[in-house]
Amino acid sequence: MQLFIRRYGTLIGFVAILVFFSAMLPGTFPTARNWLNITQQVSMLMVVAAGMTIVMVMGDFDLSVGSAASLAGIVAALMMAAGQPIWAAVAVALVVGLLGGAFNGAMVSLVGILPFIATLATMTMFSGLAFVVSGGKTISGRAIPEDFGNFARGGIPLGEWGGVAISLPNLSIIAIVVVLAVWVLLEQTTYGRRLYAIGGNMEAAHLSGIAVKRLRLIAFSLTGLAAAAGGLMYASRVASANPVQGSGLMLNAIAAVFLGTTMSRHGEPRILATVVGVIVLGVLDNGLTQMSVDSYVRQVLVGALILVAVAASSLSQRRR
Amino acid sequence: MSLNKSALAFAGILLATTAMGTGAALAQAKVAIVTPYMAQPGTQFYVEAFQAVAAENDWDVNVIDTAGDVAAVISRIEDLVVQNVDAIVINVDPTQVTAGLQAAKDAGIPVFGMDAGADPLLVTNVTSNGYAMAAETSTYVADRIKGEGNVVMFVFDAFPPVQVRGVIADAVFGNFPDIKVLDRVTPDVSDGGIADSRAKMEAILAANPEPGSIKAVWAAWDQPALGVLQAIEDAGRSGEGIVITGIDANPQAREAIATGGNFEASVAQDFAGIGAATAEAVARVLGGEEIRQSVTYVPTKLITAANAAE
Repeated sequence: MQLFIRRYGTLIGFVAILVFFSAMLPGTFPTARNWLNITQQVSMLMVVAAGMTIVMVMGDFDLSVGSAASLAGIVAALMMAAGQPIWAAVAVALVVGLLGGAFNGAMVSLVGILPFIATLATMTMFSGLAFVVSGGKTISGRAIPEDFGNFARGGIPLGEWGGVAISLPNLSIIAIVVVLAVWVLLEQTTYGRRLYAIGGNMEAAHLSGIAVKRLRLIAFSLTGLAAAAGGLMYASRVASANPVQGSGLMLNAIAAVFLGTTMSRHGEPRILATVVGVIVLGVLDNGLTQMSVDSYVRQVLVGALILVAVAASSLSQRRR
Repeated sequence: MSLNKSALAFAGILLATTAMGTGAALAQAKVAIVTPYMAQPGTQFYVEAFQAVAAENDWDVNVIDTAGDVAAVISRIEDLVVQNVDAIVINVDPTQVTAGLQAAKDAGIPVFGMDAGADPLLVTNVTSNGYAMAAETSTYVADRIKGEGNVVMFVFDAFPPVQVRGVIADAVFGNFPDIKVLDRVTPDVSDGGIADSRAKMEAILAANPEPGSIKAVWAAWDQPALGVLQAIEDAGRSGEGIVITGIDANPQAREAIATGGNFEASVAQDFAGIGAATAEAVARVLGGEEIRQSVTYVPTKLITAANAAE
């Protein structure tokens, strides 16, 4: 019973939230249109959190994902403003994210700085770089090609639902693809299993012949790449870029992964659990907005929920 | 059987609550304000004044602050559209939230801009009139120097809201045959505009050493005016009576104006007035009226030493 609550407590809480909102907002919350909205609203966080899961599997952190997301958005926007084609701007921005992540990885695995400190430093650096290259300005309006902003507004039509045309948003599709890719990487490859081994006991993993340094370097690079992708999705959604717009993603991504860890057997991050964590955060925002709950109260509730979930999980673990 | 009964009872309660819900919705209009900039002082004035009018109209107002997150503004607009509110008010650049505005338009929900920027997807944007603000200060300058003498202008034509101010000042000064525009300076604003305006003004002062050779400096916003003030004071020429004006009446400018020195006037936007006028626009549309102006202007106020401390 203890074990059951520990493993499924968060999931039960999630279902309870869904039931609650469905009862309170029967006409709007449990509708296909609302759920497609939610998948689109959480898509950027989903991509960043999926990337965060990769390093958190090893027990590491990346605090720089928000700044990396902002920087990627700024780089792409500046290139587009300079008349470069969208594909080139997107590609360069992704490379910037990948290199930024690799730099994090090098600091952590080759130099040996604690991830918390290394990525705290690069968080400031990436943010500063975003300000430097943009001059602190928001790049918007005619500087951004219409096609780039239209991408986030488009989707695959799914037909009609209750008289309203609905479609699967492009941003949601990207999020699903990224989650699938991370799932394959972590759950279906030796690389993924080795990351979990490092997370279990880094010393033992090293002694058993796992190339810990190289794997960590790669993991941080992938997290940086995902952060850049999230930043580009954000820039497309708001058809603009400013040097701080991704900053909110970092804490939410870590929160989502933590919520997820309360659902796994040994408290390790699992990508599908992260997905539930992200959706919990998105559903709370969506449902509480519809119930006209004050936005500040909402923040308190979200924080409290994370505490309750993690506390319940660790208390029952100790009792066992 | 008893299960069926309780299920029926539950359904009955649900139906009753839904009916009550709809009843309330009919009586009370649901209006939401969405802004990422609640922490900025101006925004709070808008919102408070809006809520005062909303209270008179007995609206159910939901104020949503996304704390700087513009994408979240789109998300919350989508939620409000699903919730089918009666009107949405935004305080953010509309070109950044087009996705949300389009969703609202498709659902037939009117969206209003509260100092947001004009956009075809908005019913109207309520804001201050940049042309009128520039007219206030440029006529102040012309009157103070009795329609004659050399004037230096600080402009910034690359930024449309500031460019319109320069156009009006050009027209006003051009209408006085004895006013000569000595220089039309565009300062480098990358450091905020004060330092470079000061440097540019120092050069102009050096080139015009005779007392009375510069009668006034008209600045399109407050930062250059503050830089010019520093340059004049440091050059020891504050006694010549050079009149300086700015626009926006930021706290630093108000302080300078209140001391009664060369910086004599600026123009303050009426933030509370913008909030109230936005609420009135919402009321008109909810009342079935059609608003034709894509921009609704709220009068501004000239700030001089007489009222700078208010």
